[in-house]
Amino acid sequence: MMQRQKGNRLIMWIVAIGITVVFFYGLNQFIMSAQGLPLNLDLTPAQ
Amino acid sequence: MKPNHHPEGYAEIGQQWARRAFNTMFWAMLMMLVLGMLGIASEYTSMGSAWAAEEAVNLSAGAPEIQTVDYPKIGFSSRSVVWIAAQMHLFFAAFVLAVPLFVVVIEWIGVKSGDERYDDMAHEFMKVSMTAYSITALFGGLLAFALFLLYPHFMGYMTRVFDTQMLWYALLFFAESAILYIYYYSWQALRYGNRKWVHLSFGIGLNVVGTSLLFIANAWATFMMAPSGIDMASGAVTGNIWEIMRGPLWNPVNLHRFIANIAFGGAVVGAYAGYKLLSAKTLSERAHYDWMGYTSNFIAVLAFLPLPFAGYWLMAEIYAYSQQMGITAMGGILAWLFIVQAVLIGTILLASNYYLWSGMSRTEGSLRYQWMIKYIAVVLVLGFLVWVTPHTLILRASEVAALGGSHHHLLGPLGIMPAKNIAVNLMLIATFLSFQLYRRSDKQVTVSWAAWGNAFIVAIYLIAILNIIFAGIYYGYFTNTVYKVGSSVTQVVSTLVVIVAGVLIDSFMFKKAKILPSVWGQVSNRSQYALFALPVAFTWLMALMGYVRSSVRTHWHVYSVVKDNSVDNYIPAIGYAGNMMTIVTVLFLLCILFIFWIASLSNTKQIPPIKSEGH
Repeated sequence: MMQRQKGNRLIMWIVAIGITVVFFYGLNQFIMSAQGLPLNLDLTPAQ
Repeated sequence: MKPNHHPEGYAEIGQQWARRAFNTMFWAMLMMLVLGMLGIASEYTSMGSAWAAEEAVNLSAGAPEIQTVDYPKIGFSSRSVVWIAAQMHLFFAAFVLAVPLFVVVIEWIGVKSGDERYDDMAHEFMKVSMTAYSITALFGGLLAFALFLLYPHFMGYMTRVFDTQMLWYALLFFAESAILYIYYYSWQALRYGNRKWVHLSFGIGLNVVGTSLLFIANAWATFMMAPSGIDMASGAVTGNIWEIMRGPLWNPVNLHRFIANIAFGGAVVGAYAGYKLLSAKTLSERAHYDWMGYTSNFIAVLAFLPLPFAGYWLMAEIYAYSQQMGITAMGGILAWLFIVQAVLIGTILLASNYYLWSGMSRTEGSLRYQWMIKYIAVVLVLGFLVWVTPHTLILRASEVAALGGSHHHLLGPLGIMPAKNIAVNLMLIATFLSFQLYRRSDKQVTVSWAAWGNAFIVAIYLIAILNIIFAGIYYGYFTNTVYKVGSSVTQVVSTLVVIVAGVLIDSFMFKKAKILPSVWGQVSNRSQYALFALPVAFTWLMALMGYVRSSVRTHWHVYSVVKDNSVDNYIPAIGYAGNMMTIVTVLFLLCILFIFWIASLSNTKQIPPIKSEGH
């Protein structure tokens, strides 16, 4: 039971951090390209 | 909705109509304000084109070429006289424009919540600002007389350019005064029901007129820095009044001053609350002023958080208008003032955070969060140290040789904008965290998804902080300038995401939360000194930024159009300016003490003498 609760918590943190990372990655791509400064997939300048 | 035959039915309909009238008035006035800012009104009125035709005929005379002998001499520095009068007027104008802005919101919260304490507090804030209103007008009159006396040719040109707009400014003061007196003195007469909505409408009207006055005066100041609507070679008016007003710096200054006024106003009334708490005679009085102090600090910091971004927009527009002006401001002779600015803002953030941490002692629920305070303090202090690190150093030739260059090889990189942007964004996030912890302290969350909500909040904080640091270091030091400047937007947005997400998630999470007991008044006396530090720092900061704004014009009254040929046609040295700023700050604080005393005096009643028998 305790193991299951710990496992659930780990999944919860992984999901929360994962979604947040994806969100900020997309935010960076969007904001920089909106300014005419496109980025590569690895966030390096494309120009 | 048809009223029933009971009298209350009619009263209910009346209240609905009064509320609708208030809402309509609010949105109509907000739209007028926005349209006015965009100058769209001029495109659709015949007055705009009539003015344009009339001005092209009457105002073809160009800017005056003023000689040194043309300036009147009064025995001491004309610039110093105008500096003091202008700065004092700006301090008080900022205060009296700001107070009604948050007073109306607090009054509205009082109506919505039904809690009379909000209404009483709003009324008390207005009482404090009433005396300040007269002083604002006195310094405004002094400033006008000083300008016309000491700079008659420059003022002649400005009145020719702005023409009847200056009369509108004067007329708006009649409207401001009338609405202000009605708003304040009718407080008890229009306290409940329909009448309260009428009272709130007066408050909205007061703010619209006040904001219009601010925007008109901003047009004069920004015209002097970045003139528009005129022929740049001769200074002759070529456009209508909207083209003259709507220069490239007008809206950035409008936004910056609007927000900064609120922050400043909050800080000043916070000092009033601190003074009243320390002199409170009863526990209920102490509790009342403790709550007032918290509210004031909340207003000051809430308005303060977006200020760096508004300032960044203003500087970006200054650079876009004139690279020379931008470099004078932040890359040249005035650059060190932004280190002084860092000291003051660091003071403001440390003081307001300290006040929040002290306030956590009001409730036992804060014990679970107290372990975080030291880490927030570390972030604030480290951010402050980075922000205060200069790039160019004032060195002798021998010191440059010993250092191996004009910049320190380790600390030099901390002196440029990427490091400052990281520092300020992290300091703002840390301040918001202090707020969020304070708000959570007296609540026990009961929703079933609390663990998920907390996980997302923590994730957003962590990833936003890492994103800010990554964007600042990688794009700031390892890519070209264009990407460096562009990445500052991602940093700002990351900070805003933390704030918005924190507020949203918490507001859903607090539904049906168990409220833990908190004791207003149970706060240390030393925390009130943080409330005193805030207006001192804010006032000095306003004087400093005013010095920068005026100095970027260098030797021009109107940049590149009307040359300043007076004996003061140079940027004053920083030491001299520091003394001037301190003088006006001290003068303002003395006037504020007078205002606080007057506000208390109105509540003081002398006990009648005891009549002895037989006399």
